Amino acid sequence: MAEPTLKKPLPVLTSEAKPFWDAAAEQKLVMQRCQDCRAYIWTPRPACFECGSERVEWTQLSGKGQIYSFTVIRQVVGRAASEAFEPDVPYVVAWIDLDEGPRMISNVIGCPVEDVKLGMKVAVVFEQQSPEIWLPKFKPTVS
Amino acid sequence: MSIRSKAAIVGIGETPTDRLGSKPGEPRKSSAEYLSWAMHLALADAGLTLKDFNGQGIGVTIPTAYPQPFWPEEVAEILGITPGFLLGGATGGAGSVSLLGGMSAAIASGMIDLALCIGAAAPFAEHHGDGLQPGDMRDFEIPFGTMGPNSKIAMVMRRHMHEYGTTLDHLGKIAVAGRYHASLNPAAYLRKPITIQDYKDSRLVADPVRLLDCVLPANGGKAYILASPERAKKLRKPPVCVKGFGERSNPSYGPRAGSDALVMGIKDAGKVAMEMAEIKHSDINFLQLYDDYIIVVYLQLEDLGFCAKGDLGFFERTDFTFKGQLPIQTGGGMINCGQPSTAGGTLHVLEAVRQLRGEGGDRQVPGAKTGLVSGLGVLPYGKNLGCCAVAVLGTQP
Ligand SMILES: [Zn+2]
Repeated sequence: MAEPTLKKPLPVLTSEAKPFWDAAAEQKLVMQRCQDCRAYIWTPRPACFECGSERVEWTQLSGKGQIYSFTVIRQVVGRAASEAFEPDVPYVVAWIDLDEGPRMISNVIGCPVEDVKLGMKVAVVFEQQSPEIWLPKFKPTVS
Repeated sequence: MSIRSKAAIVGIGETPTDRLGSKPGEPRKSSAEYLSWAMHLALADAGLTLKDFNGQGIGVTIPTAYPQPFWPEEVAEILGITPGFLLGGATGGAGSVSLLGGMSAAIASGMIDLALCIGAAAPFAEHHGDGLQPGDMRDFEIPFGTMGPNSKIAMVMRRHMHEYGTTLDHLGKIAVAGRYHASLNPAAYLRKPITIQDYKDSRLVADPVRLLDCVLPANGGKAYILASPERAKKLRKPPVCVKGFGERSNPSYGPRAGSDALVMGIKDAGKVAMEMAEIKHSDINFLQLYDDYIIVVYLQLEDLGFCAKGDLGFFERTDFTFKGQLPIQTGGGMINCGQPSTAGGTLHVLEAVRQLRGEGGDRQVPGAKTGLVSGLGVLPYGKNLGCCAVAVLGTQP
């Protein structure tokens, strides 16, 4: 029998973020948008961080974007929980600039780490981590 | 509203840094020991006693990994002082420069006329567990396998190289100048001079961030004492005037959800501080820039306006050593002297004071009259550093 793998840390389903994770479980990428100034709001919060309006609503995004920058994790460091990522090394942590504007931290998957480039176009895919949590990750789109 | 030259630094204290506790069974010291040691060095330097601080100001940098929310009060108790004004430096690595501004303002108001600003940490000797606090890091970063600040700075560095063609030669020049200064500083931790090639050959930690890009964590304590100009006159060391101060926290350049990650709040903090001090760039004799990473020093030189964004020629032609046109990191910076958590940034204040007193020894900037110090802290979710503080210090009001 294989050794049980270390559990990766999962996000906590806070009341602000629950609609995001609920949508992710249905393979949808959503973000809050201010109904007054139209700003996208990421990460989730109770009111608009551009104008202060509380009229914020969850909106579905295209799930498309491009790589603003990235790093290749070749070694796990720091807190003990980091060791759960050891089997994935090397992997890509990236800032993804979504077509709608907001920037997300995520992983670029589905291609060799050597092929990842800045400006590369990517689209969201969801990876299930637990019964409730599906993490949005990004795959290069074939041009 | 200006606090120009309403307060002066009159004493400094810095313990040696060490990494005791990194090996099992090694003798070690606590944060409390470094705090007390740093304070006594500062008191001796200023010619003051513990009793002078009752009813006065105490400012304490709050370390990143200490689970005690009332840390500043506990520090007052460790030191044996009953302050009349207790301030926590809660802007991460910017804490010590933020306290310089906050305490100078308290002195300018007349509420106090003396303040001790202090910080210490012993990350190798004291371990405080692994608990994750609520926030973006827990819910939206760590689940994707981010590996602390290295991951984010790597993305900043790669983006800068992509947009402006910045190379390891440009960045390495800063690393080499810092280490050269450390070789002339008996209190530095890493003192063997390096070449650009050594920088390039150093191990990749978080591609493209290399080992010689990164700050050196260490144990240690640091302190400085501020006084009103009247009080400063009666003390033994030549006062170093706080001529200007500026701070920007949670800056954003562009929409908050998609800020330009290559611009730092130092841009605005620096402008405010320099306007308050009524100085031009050419008046600045040296810079002590917060240095958690080499790229962060590089970005500050751009954002403080010493060159345009992406002006590679500036980095090619400028001599950053103490003998050069624009000396930076004249003691070697935290990268070479060690970073005791958020107390680390205090090093830049202390080195500026030494230079302005003419106590720079083999690395003294000739005729130094005005210097600029920065503090930076916190790496927010999708942006550059979240807390930025700048102080202009000088020999004359
Ligand atoms: Zn709004």
